[in-house]
Amino acid sequence: MDPITLFSIIKGGLVLGALYALMATGLSLVWTTLGIFNFAHGAFIALGAYVAWQFASADAYGLPLGLALAVTTGVMFAIGAVIHFLLVKPFERRADVVLITVITTLAGSAILENALLLIWGPRSKQIPELVEGTVAVAEFQLAWSEVLLLVVVLAILIGLGLFLRYTRPGRSMRAVSQNREAAQLLGLDVPIYFALAFGLSAVTAGLAGVFVGTIRFMNPAMGAEPLMKALIVVIFGGIARFSSPIYAAFIIGLLEAFSIYVFGLYWAPAVLFLTMIVVLLIKPEGLFGKYQRTL
Amino acid sequence: MADPILQVTDLSGGYDPVQIFRDINLSVGAGESIGIFGPNGHGKTTLLKTLSGLIDPWSGDIRFDGQQMNRSGARGSRRWQNFNYDAITRRRMDPKTVARAGLIHVQQGNLLFPELTVDETLSISTRAASGRQGWSRADVLGLFPRLSERLVHKIRFLSGGERQMVSVAAGLLSAPRMLILDEPTLGLSPKVRSELCDAIVTVRETGLPIILIDQDVAFLERIIDRLYLFDHGRISRVMERDEIPGHEGLMAMLFGEVT
Repeated sequence: MDPITLFSIIKGGLVLGALYALMATGLSLVWTTLGIFNFAHGAFIALGAYVAWQFASADAYGLPLGLALAVTTGVMFAIGAVIHFLLVKPFERRADVVLITVITTLAGSAILENALLLIWGPRSKQIPELVEGTVAVAEFQLAWSEVLLLVVVLAILIGLGLFLRYTRPGRSMRAVSQNREAAQLLGLDVPIYFALAFGLSAVTAGLAGVFVGTIRFMNPAMGAEPLMKALIVVIFGGIARFSSPIYAAFIIGLLEAFSIYVFGLYWAPAVLFLTMIVVLLIKPEGLFGKYQRTL
Repeated sequence: MADPILQVTDLSGGYDPVQIFRDINLSVGAGESIGIFGPNGHGKTTLLKTLSGLIDPWSGDIRFDGQQMNRSGARGSRRWQNFNYDAITRRRMDPKTVARAGLIHVQQGNLLFPELTVDETLSISTRAASGRQGWSRADVLGLFPRLSERLVHKIRFLSGGERQMVSVAAGLLSAPRMLILDEPTLGLSPKVRSELCDAIVTVRETGLPIILIDQDVAFLERIIDRLYLFDHGRISRVMERDEIPGHEGLMAMLFGEVT
């Protein structure tokens, strides 16, 4: 393998890893805090892409990209919180909440995807590249948009990590995730922190969708495949701490890039699942996981 | 007596469909403390969980600090639960509202937040006390000097006694008007136990009302003004502090004379 090929595989793996990290973090945030699995996460990915397209594309409102991203963030947060109150909150006190919310979030996912189809139509769209041009060192080429993606994703993840660790709402959210009853007895407003977790999760999914929308063509079901990958990442990595899905995401991203090169595009998912199964056989709680779910 | 700070009237409850306690009447005046004494498994902890709103009461009223804690009309609305419709109906009691009113429940064997450090736990517990005599972080660290050395440690690495101290400290920081302590000294080594007991006596001396459940009559006598004897989900007897007949006497009241 020549160095340029190797470089482009690693580059591709890192970009994939960054996207997976963003999506998996949102997924595990909801899982650790609420104890439920959000199947509408994939629809959030598509929704973020469409909302950003609506504000940024020259065919629609044509706002400057930065502004469009800020608006998308706000919209996604609000939608995430609303979805929580509609699809999860009403069933919170039931013993079978985990199963019920599988159904409700799946339903929500179908409704959201079809709403996207109704609003924006079936024609494929693409978000304009966030920045243009490439940077080249010797023969190694790197698009500025890829650099931006890596930087932005890392900034978001670090920001989220700092939020959870050092701010009062972030700490309270962790407290709620670790012991709901004790948090209530100290007067913490549990539903608000649940909505916050859902909102933040929707924001990370939406931003991941924006990046996917700049790389590939958008369609309402575009979130399904990334959701599957994010799921593999979460299961593969375990969720002992905030950072474990992030490491796992980069491992999966690089693994996927290499297996596409070695085994071809069609075998790459099989390799990923096989890796996940082997890891789970050896370490059932995930590569970095522990048995309890905490944040 | 002035208006009681906590007034519990004809309270019944349990885990549907099993009734755990019935017809509980308690009244705690401002600055007063009470104790509840009774055998294990008779529903003391369930009663406390109902007072703090973790479990909905079946019937009866809980008034704290002049405020009705359970939503009115409680008697009739249990019917809703039989429709298994409680997912949509709002709860009749909300632990957050109870806690913010100042009734702070320190649970038995409280695990708190295993992955949070002591420092983080204290920081999220701190609530501004509007018009209440509040405890500051420095105050609680003065009360539990042990915790000062443990600030950066995660709670799951603490000993049982230290964990109990963090629980009480977090309760004190949440602007309490009354503390509920559920067997705070259970399973602690004698040294840690006496440290914790002394700290609770200090808290009591500030005039903060306490509801204390404990099996140690000598400790109860240091804290409380009145003792409620709890037997098979009912209050079988109420006595002032100087009427308490000691541990043996209480056991005799509960189980009859042992020959």
